[in-house]
Amino acid sequence: MLTLFPTKDTGAKTLPTLMTITAPEQQMALDALQQLGASAGLNGLLLANLLSCFTQLERDAVHLYRVLAERTHNDDWRERYEAFGKESEDHVRIYEELITKLGGDPQYVSPNARMSEYKDSKLLEALLLSGSVDEFTLELTGLEAVITAEQQCHSNWELLAALADQVDDKAVKGAIQGAVKQVMPQEDEHLTWAKSTWQKTLLGTLNQR
Amino acid sequence: MAFNPLTERGIPIDKQLRNWSQLNVNPYDSQTVDPYTRCRIITMNGIEVEAIMNAHQFARHTDNPEVKAKLAYLRRIEQQQQKAVNWLLPGKESTLEVTIGYEQVAIDLTAFLARNEPDPYVKQTLDFGLLEDFDHLYRYANLMDLIEGKKADRITRNYTEVMPGRPTILEHRHPYDDIRCHYDAHTAAPLTKLHALTITAAEQQTMNFYMNVGPQYQEAIARALYQEIAMIEEQHVTQYESLLDPLETWFQREVMHHYNECYLYYSFMQTEVDRRIKDLWELHLNQEIEHLRIAGEMLKKFEGMDPAEMLPKSLPEPTKFEQNKDYVRDILATQVDLRTLGPTFVPLDQLPEDSLYREYQETVNAGGFVPSEQVIKDVQEKSGYRIAFMTEGPHPVESLREK
Repeated sequence: MLTLFPTKDTGAKTLPTLMTITAPEQQMALDALQQLGASAGLNGLLLANLLSCFTQLERDAVHLYRVLAERTHNDDWRERYEAFGKESEDHVRIYEELITKLGGDPQYVSPNARMSEYKDSKLLEALLLSGSVDEFTLELTGLEAVITAEQQCHSNWELLAALADQVDDKAVKGAIQGAVKQVMPQEDEHLTWAKSTWQKTLLGTLNQR
Repeated sequence: MAFNPLTERGIPIDKQLRNWSQLNVNPYDSQTVDPYTRCRIITMNGIEVEAIMNAHQFARHTDNPEVKAKLAYLRRIEQQQQKAVNWLLPGKESTLEVTIGYEQVAIDLTAFLARNEPDPYVKQTLDFGLLEDFDHLYRYANLMDLIEGKKADRITRNYTEVMPGRPTILEHRHPYDDIRCHYDAHTAAPLTKLHALTITAAEQQTMNFYMNVGPQYQEAIARALYQEIAMIEEQHVTQYESLLDPLETWFQREVMHHYNECYLYYSFMQTEVDRRIKDLWELHLNQEIEHLRIAGEMLKKFEGMDPAEMLPKSLPEPTKFEQNKDYVRDILATQVDLRTLGPTFVPLDQLPEDSLYREYQETVNAGGFVPSEQVIKDVQEKSGYRIAFMTEGPHPVESLREK
């Protein structure tokens, strides 16, 4: 089931860190994390932490697109934001399925995911300064948030594609490649559209006196 | 029955503003008031003050006109709620009598939260603070006897025992030793989040109260004792605010503040014995349901998140004021010698000789005058006794029994 904000009620688990505590029943067992992708000889802990982090970015992308679709005054952009938001929901689901296939727990929120969530929240926090700028700048700020988020999303999937190329274990390779195949064309489209729209919009305006 | 403030309908925001007559409530009768009614009033005052100050801080981090306007509107109503609550305190009660009420809150609220806290580390943090506030009640009870000739059990009515806790003189720690780890916003139980917000608000209000009323006394010992204990309250605020996860955004925190207000007004409605005050808790609950809705709408609009994604389907079991004598005695017996080393709790005998704690102790307690010790000596000297109200037998810690 798709989770956009893991909580105790959804079964969220984590690893306590330097300053983070969690009740024993919510702690993820280290050895369980190390088992992720073990048949392929991978660093299970890092893989688990990264997949949780990548999922988090997709969750945050869903929230980002909801905000932008709500606040943009450009109908074409709204249509895109709504479509990309729905696709990002699919990406969350695909990550959750991939984690499950690899033997992990999609409710695990890694320390890396916390850091990603914190960074992502700052993209939206920029809108708190909306009283300082005109509507055009605000629209561009939203688009720039998309470029930043999608650039990272894209890099995450590229990393997984490269990892699949290096892995011999058929099950692990197949699971990762299957996910990449479903998502990559959409990720390409999200990033390409955001970058080209940003450039086109600015160039168009720069060329007007 | 399960209660979910997200699905309830509150009073529309434009119907919430009260006039001066409605706001200037009659105080309770200090002769007949139930001590735990006073405790609920003091608690909700602190909760309202925290909600107001959080919204002020939020407003200072945005120039979005819609967010600023909504925060200003919510805050104005929160201010009215704070006035209606805090003005229930009668002018007849002296500052020290109110102080005894504050410390009764600090003991019976903290003990209840600790008893019901699901996270072991957060529970330990609450237990640690509990023993310190327990000692403050003892010191203030002696001060009240000394300068006003009044007995603290008139206020606490023996719902709460009065005797030494972790002696205040030993509570002074280096600032680094008051930092605590924090819960994780994703995995923490909703109750843990509410407990952390509640205790932070309660201790912050206590800190603010002491830091402002302390210098209004003429008696040197009173001025000094308020000053010393106000410094411990700063330590407690540092400790408890550390429990909050900094991952939570401004909008999420705003939602959590209103959710906590709903939770506490709902809780206190269940146990309030004064019909008039119960009605006030109900009114404020119905206002807070609307505040939660508005904060939730902002969360949706500016962060794309439905508040139902982060909140449980119903409020946790209510928080209650009730007697905690056995619990406090048990914690005293087992934890009085606990200290902290950064965010870790350690027994005194495991604290390094060159610890920051010992260095800080030597600095602030230098010179021989420590108000919290002096007040006991003064009472002993003047009256030949010291104030303690123990209903459950001798002090559980032998070294703290009266010689």
